[in-house]
Amino acid sequence: MSYLGKRLVHVVLTVLGIAIINFFLLQLAPGDAADVLAGEAGTADPEYLANLRREFGLDQPMLHQLWAFLQRLFMFDFGYSYRHNMPVSTLIFERIPATLILVGSSIAMALVFGILLGVVAARTAGRLPDKLISLASLLFYATPPFWIGLMMIVVFSVKLGWTPTGGMSDIISNKTGLAYVLDVMRHLALPAITQAVFYLAIYTRLVRAGMLEVLSLEYIRVARAKGISENRIAYHHALRNAIFPLITVAGTNLGAFLGGAVLTETVFSWPGVGRLMFDAMFQRDLNLLLSILVLSSIFVVLVNLAVDLLYALINPTVELR
Amino acid sequence: MNGTNLLDIRDLRVSPRGMTETAILRGVTFSVAPGETLAVVGESGCGKSMASLAVMGLLPPGLERRSGDILFRGEPLPVDDNTAMRKVRGRRIGMVFQEPMAALNPVYTIGHQVAEVILEHEDISAAEARLRVVELLREVGLPSPDRIIDEYPHRLSGGQRQRVVIAMALACKPDLLIADEPTTALDVTVQAQIMRLLKRAQNELGIAIILITHNLGLVAQMADRVVVMYAGHKVEEASVQTLFASPQHPYTQGLLRATPRPGRRRAGGKPLEEIPGMVPAITDPPSGCRFRPRCPRATRECETVHPAVRQVGDTIVACHHPGRLEAVQ
Ligand SMILES: Nc1ncnc2c1ncn2[C@@H]1O[C@H](COP(=O)(O)OP(=O)(O)O)[C@@H](O)[C@H]1O
Ligand code: SF4
Ligand SMILES: [Mg+2]
Repeated sequence: MSYLGKRLVHVVLTVLGIAIINFFLLQLAPGDAADVLAGEAGTADPEYLANLRREFGLDQPMLHQLWAFLQRLFMFDFGYSYRHNMPVSTLIFERIPATLILVGSSIAMALVFGILLGVVAARTAGRLPDKLISLASLLFYATPPFWIGLMMIVVFSVKLGWTPTGGMSDIISNKTGLAYVLDVMRHLALPAITQAVFYLAIYTRLVRAGMLEVLSLEYIRVARAKGISENRIAYHHALRNAIFPLITVAGTNLGAFLGGAVLTETVFSWPGVGRLMFDAMFQRDLNLLLSILVLSSIFVVLVNLAVDLLYALINPTVELR
Repeated sequence: MNGTNLLDIRDLRVSPRGMTETAILRGVTFSVAPGETLAVVGESGCGKSMASLAVMGLLPPGLERRSGDILFRGEPLPVDDNTAMRKVRGRRIGMVFQEPMAALNPVYTIGHQVAEVILEHEDISAAEARLRVVELLREVGLPSPDRIIDEYPHRLSGGQRQRVVIAMALACKPDLLIADEPTTALDVTVQAQIMRLLKRAQNELGIAIILITHNLGLVAQMADRVVVMYAGHKVEEASVQTLFASPQHPYTQGLLRATPRPGRRRAGGKPLEEIPGMVPAITDPPSGCRFRPRCPRATRECETVHPAVRQVGDTIVACHHPGRLEAVQ
């Protein structure tokens, strides 16, 4: 079987495993959607509860429920959210763009600035710029992101009034075109930075260490003996090799970025999937919660596959088998 | 020594940064004439590589040149000015290193890496450079150059990679090639091929070669003159014939006793002898002559007075008691 075929089988098995584990984990949680709905309706009438449960299939044996869930999953039918009165898929897909924008821009920011700062730190190792960068990355590494988020809201939104405190765009002014894009970017700045700083700190340290190691290798000395400039040595010869561990780590961080989005989207009331999941958790909308978990695991597993392929593509010493 | 030399190294001193007491090169002087091959020999750690890196202005960050001039065609080399040295490296002076397996960047093709040095120093197009690279790869004896040019280094053997490094070093037709133990990491048959390649390139391009090695067999085949180094000092310098016929310094004599020689009788010849002891640590050199703890001829004087370099016959030697030794013949 081809490498890709093997990997895809692997993807399917992983997703199946995650779906089953999540299903049972949620079963362990006390209470179900029927309890919540009944609670909100202000009644504990056993008949009403039993009706609700029958309607949701919650009265079936657990294995039946799992089987039904997997069958529907296989057909990309995620069922209905009675809480929101909407199909789960509509609910989720509506929210995906916001989360992709947030997660994508924070990863991009962490990568770009992590690489730049890491290279500068390595090239000035032991001198002032390196010391400042290393100190800053240590600070960002050690500070909880939600605290950074709250402080930035206090400073930039409340005190300085430069940025909005939350949301994704101005609801009042109905902007279009470029004005809309700029408006979204203004809203995006704080949550994206909040999400990025922790990983920015990690990536800076990773790139710095990788650059220092590569810069001490023989082929760098050979390049210098050819008369190549220090800038070209750093970016063309060294960084190109120092980037591989970063790609691996950033790939495995993707799940953590999505997890972080739950927090960031909640703090900044960003209308994404993370926020949706947070609400689903509190509202015990188990079907919605489970669907989000499974979908994001599919996403993570697929992106990891893509990262591995990318890695092999840019590293000629790796041959896919 | 005179105006016609290609390279003059005068009283070169190199120390670890910020350490005034210790030194890695303690006043090394030698010259290379155009087109000649100078061998620099000595055990590991004697400072051979650091001397050649000092010429390139590529000393490792922890080391610095304390004093001493390095002249190229009679002009001081701007070894402390990286930008100025870039025009010398790869163009006037090419360098080949000891570890071919580590000498090539794993993420770029052979062709890219050889073309890079040409494009750096000459004003030609990438397409022209590629033609030059194919030609170069053919000249250094690589099979099917127009295919291998697009290969990545990991697909090549150590010997092939060293040929690529040699192609890079010769690409801009330099005046001087510094080869720092170019065959130490290769097996014997490949060694001989690489040496023949260097010899041929020298004849065709008329370049001078500094061959750094601890293999005296190679020296006998390749070199015109020999500089022997010990613990950061030049201890002996002579033409290759003079050195092998009548080595003056006890260290040189020890090296020769430890080496099988092509010209020497096989049967009945004396067994090879290692020089007893070890090269002293640079932080803790012995007083007087650095070789004293290992020298069979050491006297009181050797303990207190460091031997100055002087002329004995056709040889330059730094020893209080130079001369022939029975066992060396
Ligand atoms: N980066 C460095 N910092 C400090 N000392 C070094 C460094 N590189 C080499 N040395 C020391 O310099 C001395 C000479 O080394 P080298 O020129 O490599 O010897 P050789 O090439 O003759 O084997 C050795 O004692 C070695 O320990
Ligand atoms: S100076 Fe003395 S110790 Fe040094 S090599 Fe000569 S005889 Fe030996
Ligand atoms: Mg060496």
